[in-house]
Amino acid sequence: MKDLLLYLLPIVILFIGGFTLMLVDAFQKEEGGLAVPTAMLHFAAAAAALALWPYAGNAADLARAQVAFNGWLAFDRTTLFLDITIALGGGLTTLLAGSYLAEHKLERGEFYTLITFASAGCMMLAGATDLIMLFIGLETLSLGVYALTGFRRTSARSQEGALKYFLLGSFAAALLLYGSALLYGMTGHTDLAGIRDALGRAVEMPAIAGQEGAAQFVAVQQTVRDRVTILAMVLVVAGLAFKVGSVPFHMWTPDAYEGAPTPATAYMAVTVKAAAFGAMLRVLIGVFGDTSGPASLAGGWPGLLVWLAVLSMLIGNLVALAQSSVKRMLAYSSIAHGGYILAAFVVAPRAESLAGGGGSVGQSAAAAVLFYLLAYTVSNVGAFGALILAGSRGKEAVSYEDLAGLGKRHPAVALALSFFVLSLAGMPPTVGFFAKYNVIRSAIEAGYPWLALAVVINSAIGVYYYLRVMVKMYMHDPQPGAVRAEPMSSPGISLTLIATAGMVLALGMMPQRFYGYALEAVKLAAAPIAAAPADAPPANAN
Amino acid sequence: MQLVPTLIQALTAVDTAGSLSLRYQYGPIFAMLGFALVVAGAVFSLATFLGPKNPTPEKLIPYESGSPTTGAKHVRLSVKFYLTALLFVVFDIEAVFLYPWAALYQSLGWQGFVEMFVFLAALSIALIYCWKKGALEWET
Repeated sequence: MKDLLLYLLPIVILFIGGFTLMLVDAFQKEEGGLAVPTAMLHFAAAAAALALWPYAGNAADLARAQVAFNGWLAFDRTTLFLDITIALGGGLTTLLAGSYLAEHKLERGEFYTLITFASAGCMMLAGATDLIMLFIGLETLSLGVYALTGFRRTSARSQEGALKYFLLGSFAAALLLYGSALLYGMTGHTDLAGIRDALGRAVEMPAIAGQEGAAQFVAVQQTVRDRVTILAMVLVVAGLAFKVGSVPFHMWTPDAYEGAPTPATAYMAVTVKAAAFGAMLRVLIGVFGDTSGPASLAGGWPGLLVWLAVLSMLIGNLVALAQSSVKRMLAYSSIAHGGYILAAFVVAPRAESLAGGGGSVGQSAAAAVLFYLLAYTVSNVGAFGALILAGSRGKEAVSYEDLAGLGKRHPAVALALSFFVLSLAGMPPTVGFFAKYNVIRSAIEAGYPWLALAVVINSAIGVYYYLRVMVKMYMHDPQPGAVRAEPMSSPGISLTLIATAGMVLALGMMPQRFYGYALEAVKLAAAPIAAAPADAPPANAN
Repeated sequence: MQLVPTLIQALTAVDTAGSLSLRYQYGPIFAMLGFALVVAGAVFSLATFLGPKNPTPEKLIPYESGSPTTGAKHVRLSVKFYLTALLFVVFDIEAVFLYPWAALYQSLGWQGFVEMFVFLAALSIALIYCWKKGALEWET
């Protein structure tokens, strides 16, 4: 039992670290200096997750852990992979924030505490195998991120974005909660394994068996359960789709992304997405993944998700074309990237389900999701970091015009921004190419050629607005008389960008290796859920 | 999505056993709901249609017999009230959590003790933080 507590290490590091940061912030005389410790905390959490990786390969241990934690959290490699992604994204954005906040006179200790607790919430959400845990994780991360969005207190934009995000986010949380309540009402379980098993069985009512009309009554109950389960599934998906900002739940995204201080935008874009997609992976594939079984009624979700995926890609990309602000363009492009990831989701349950032993096609699609999240994290943090570097206190670089002529004036900054934007666009040899390649390949393997085509066409649209950034920087001159955004000189950001670029290249040069890790991560994901006893533990049984 | 028709069917299905139908399980609740709607609707509509109406300016002010209102309707309140109320809620909830824990202290054993200790430690840090940041100072 005691050794199992070690599995909590990544989350515990962040929580204890967050409290320590609060105390340091309260007692220190001057603001500042917390960025590097916060980043170190995140990297320590990533290291802990990495150290746990070999131990999470044993199905028996995972089942033991599952029982010991009452089925609340899974400590399989899927969780660890997502934990590493989240910690990496959080740590890198914190390093960016250190220079950004100092430059823009926003340096306040709360930023780091909020980011640390939000990361812990992300990890809880990514590992949750119980609807209650899932909700707690979601709220822990959301409250932190709402506050980060409104961090520029003097800016009306920032306040507007935060309020919108908060109101719509509360609404989405309510949808998720309502769906969870319905699932609990239909099955008597809040743990995902219990829900899946209960839905897999037909409705039985031994108490009235044998009475006149009992069979008819049970048949009606079965119909009601099936229908309500669909409703519950739709509500849960809507709640999670909001968090990843997929169309039609994307309305908050551009305003929140534009209003938030840029490091917070980068943070929102990468970690929240990783956590929410992780939760989606567990709920949709873990519970409703068996599209051929008796629970197949709710297994109609791929048909629902395919619309979300295609609409997110299309609307995200088309609206991104029309933006004049690069920050807003990146917000819409993040919606489109969410669409690419959702496309892999649609593919995943085809053939066999993950939970039922795992078809190889389903596994490669789920691995494509994880790989994409990692690739998106490094590319996007880099792109936002380069955008931060291109501006300074006098004028932040936000619009395309601010970037005009940057290639001549400051070639290093322009080169960095170009590099990360190319990775987002999906150009080889950067990692963005292989992330998309995996999605497209698994779509074709699973027999969804038109979905693969949709991804390809949308990537082509995306290339246009990503290249526009480079065209502005290298081929246009700034308009005479305009206030120029001068790049800030910050060794911290430069170092972070170099490290991030290294990761983008390393992932791009050795995609098979990292894709292999992702594949390993999803292979055992099925084990703990399947190995959990159907009606134990007693605390969770109704 | 045939949820609504299915629910209606489930609620109105007449089967041979009668007592097994959902209609009999939830019937009284719906009867109560309908009764409440009818009574409330009847009272309000009767008052609207039958009651005499002789409005005078005195009758239309919020407090018919009170002293006349002065000043602006919207008073700007200091944000400090909000902060204090929020802190009160946080620590109030803490006290609420302590009661069931205290009642079950014996049966929860060491695990319960440690868990509550962690919870209280987290809240103590929050209190220290609020204190040092000056959230408890009224005059600033």
